[in-house]
Amino acid sequence: MRSPFSSETEAFRFLLLLVAAVIPIVLATVFGPTWLVVVVLVLVLGAVAVRAAALHMQRLRDPAMQVKMAPPHIGSPSDRRVLVVANQTLDEDALLSELERLASNPSVRIRVLAPALISPAARMTGGIDGLLAEARAKLQTALGRIGHSRAVSGEISDADPLHAIEDEFATFVPDEVIVSTRWERTEGGLDPLLAGLVRERFAVPVRHLVFEPGADARESDRETEVRYRREAGDTAARRFGLSAVVGVAVLAALVLSTAALIRSSEHSEQRSAAEAAANQRLVEPGPVANVVALKVIPEGKRGPEGEKHDEFTTTEFTVKVGQPQLLKIDNTDTVPHSITAPGAGVNIVVMPGVHTYKLLLQRAGTYLWFCTFVCDEWAMHHPGYMSGYITAVAS
Amino acid sequence: MPSTELSPAKSPKLEPQPWRWTHPRVLIEHPDEAAGLAIASGLRYAGFAVGVCPGPHGLGQCPLTGPEGCAPAHDADVVVCSLGYEREAAREVLHELRQRYPHTKLLVEVPNTIDTELQELLEGCHVVPAPASPEQIVEAVRSIAGEPAQEAENDA
Repeated sequence: MRSPFSSETEAFRFLLLLVAAVIPIVLATVFGPTWLVVVVLVLVLGAVAVRAAALHMQRLRDPAMQVKMAPPHIGSPSDRRVLVVANQTLDEDALLSELERLASNPSVRIRVLAPALISPAARMTGGIDGLLAEARAKLQTALGRIGHSRAVSGEISDADPLHAIEDEFATFVPDEVIVSTRWERTEGGLDPLLAGLVRERFAVPVRHLVFEPGADARESDRETEVRYRREAGDTAARRFGLSAVVGVAVLAALVLSTAALIRSSEHSEQRSAAEAAANQRLVEPGPVANVVALKVIPEGKRGPEGEKHDEFTTTEFTVKVGQPQLLKIDNTDTVPHSITAPGAGVNIVVMPGVHTYKLLLQRAGTYLWFCTFVCDEWAMHHPGYMSGYITAVAS
Repeated sequence: MPSTELSPAKSPKLEPQPWRWTHPRVLIEHPDEAAGLAIASGLRYAGFAVGVCPGPHGLGQCPLTGPEGCAPAHDADVVVCSLGYEREAAREVLHELRQRYPHTKLLVEVPNTIDTELQELLEGCHVVPAPASPEQIVEAVRSIAGEPAQEAENDA
C-alpha cells in the first residue's frame, strides 16, 4: 500500500482527512448519546473502508503504468543469456527439448531458475528443507537431461518468484526470459500471471511457454496475456470485494452485538430499579403530609420549539425534612420513569399505572431531580418536563 | 494545449530512484512495445542501461503530466522520444520533459512535417527523422551520450 507520507502534499491531505474523520466522533462523544457515537463511528469507519476498497479494486483492475527496465548486456555482442523460470514444468519434454536446442548454440548461456513456492505453513512447521531438497532434485534431473553442463546452470530460490528474477537481472543479466507455467495455477506451481508481470517489468523479450495436460507446449500471444491479466485482475477484485463484504458483515454483527449487550444491560438496570421501587412501595406508613397526585404523560407538553415532549404534570415538590411526602403517580406511559435526585439520595422508580410512592428527604435544601430512564432526551434535561426541583425545608 | 514557452523547471516529486545501474541510462518513450524493445536491445548491447515506457498510450496516467513526476526520466542521461507528435498528449509529454528536466539530453524522432508549435518544442533537442531504425537511434544516442565505457562485464 502506498504511504500517505510520500510527499508533503499527501501528508497534509492525510492529516486533513484524519481531522475531518475525528471531529464528528469527538463531537458525538461530547454532546451526543452513546448510540450517536456508535452511529458516527460506524459511518466514519465505513467511509474509510469503502474508499480503501475502491482504491484497491481500481489498482487490481487498472495497474499503474510501469516502465520496463534492464541493465546493459554483458559479454561479447554475440553472447546471449537466457533465463528460464520453471518449477512444476521442469519435467516437460517440450521445455527440455527447447532448452537443449538453445544450449546447442555455443554463444548461448542458460540459467534455470526454479522457484520453490513454500507456503507460510510449511515455513512455520519447518517443512522448508524437504521442499527445497525436492525442488533441487527435480532441477538436477532436468539439468541432467538437458546436458551442456558448461552452458546451462541452475538455481533454486525460496523467495517470491518476481524478486528472484530481479536478483537474476543483477547477477546473471539475461537478454531474454522464458517463463514456463501451466494454464491454471496449481498448488506449488507458478502463477501463469508471472509471465505478464515479468514482461511489464523488464525491458527484455519474455516468452511464456504454457503447458496443458496431454498437449504440447504453446506460446501464448500478447492478446491472450492481456486477456488473462484482465481476467485475473477481475477475479482478484471480485475476491477482494467478497472479502470486504464479509468483513463489513462481521463488523456490523459486532456492532449490533455490542448494542444489544448495552440494551440488555440497561434493561437489567431497569429491572433492578423496578424491584427496588416495588420494595420502596412497601414502606411502613408514618406521619405524612397530604398526598400529591400527578401524572406522567408521554408527549404531553409542547416545548418552546413547538415539539411535544414527555412530562411529569408536577415537577416542583416541597417537603419537610424527615417527613414523608406521598406521591400518587399515574404513569400513563408503557415504560417506567423515575424521580431521581442524586444530591438528596432520592430515586423513585415510577412504574406504569397508578401507584403511590414515598418521598423522604433528610437534609434541607433544593435539589435537582430528573428521569434517568431513556425516554425524551430533551425533556430529561429540562425542568418542567421530565426534570424539576425538590425543596426540603426544616420541619 | 501545452504552452511552448518553457518556464523554469519545477521541482519534481519522485518515488524512490528506480535505476539500479550506474551505466549511462537511456529512457525510451515508444508507444509500440516491440519497437521499444528492439531499440532497448540495441542500446543494451551498446552498453546502456535502458528503460522503456509506452508514454500516454499505455496503462494508467503518465506521471510526467501529474504532480508526482517521473523518476526514470529524472535520472536518465538520455531520453529517446518516439511518441508521434501529431497527438496532443505526446506533445504534452515532450513539453513536460523539457520543462522538468532541462539538462537531460533529448533525442526526438520527428515527423517530416513540423508545425510551429512543435518546432518551438524541439529547440535544443537532438532530432532524428521518422521512421528511424533501431540502429539509427542507437547510433544517435551513442553520439549524444558519448561511447559508454566497456565496463559492463565488470559491473554486473
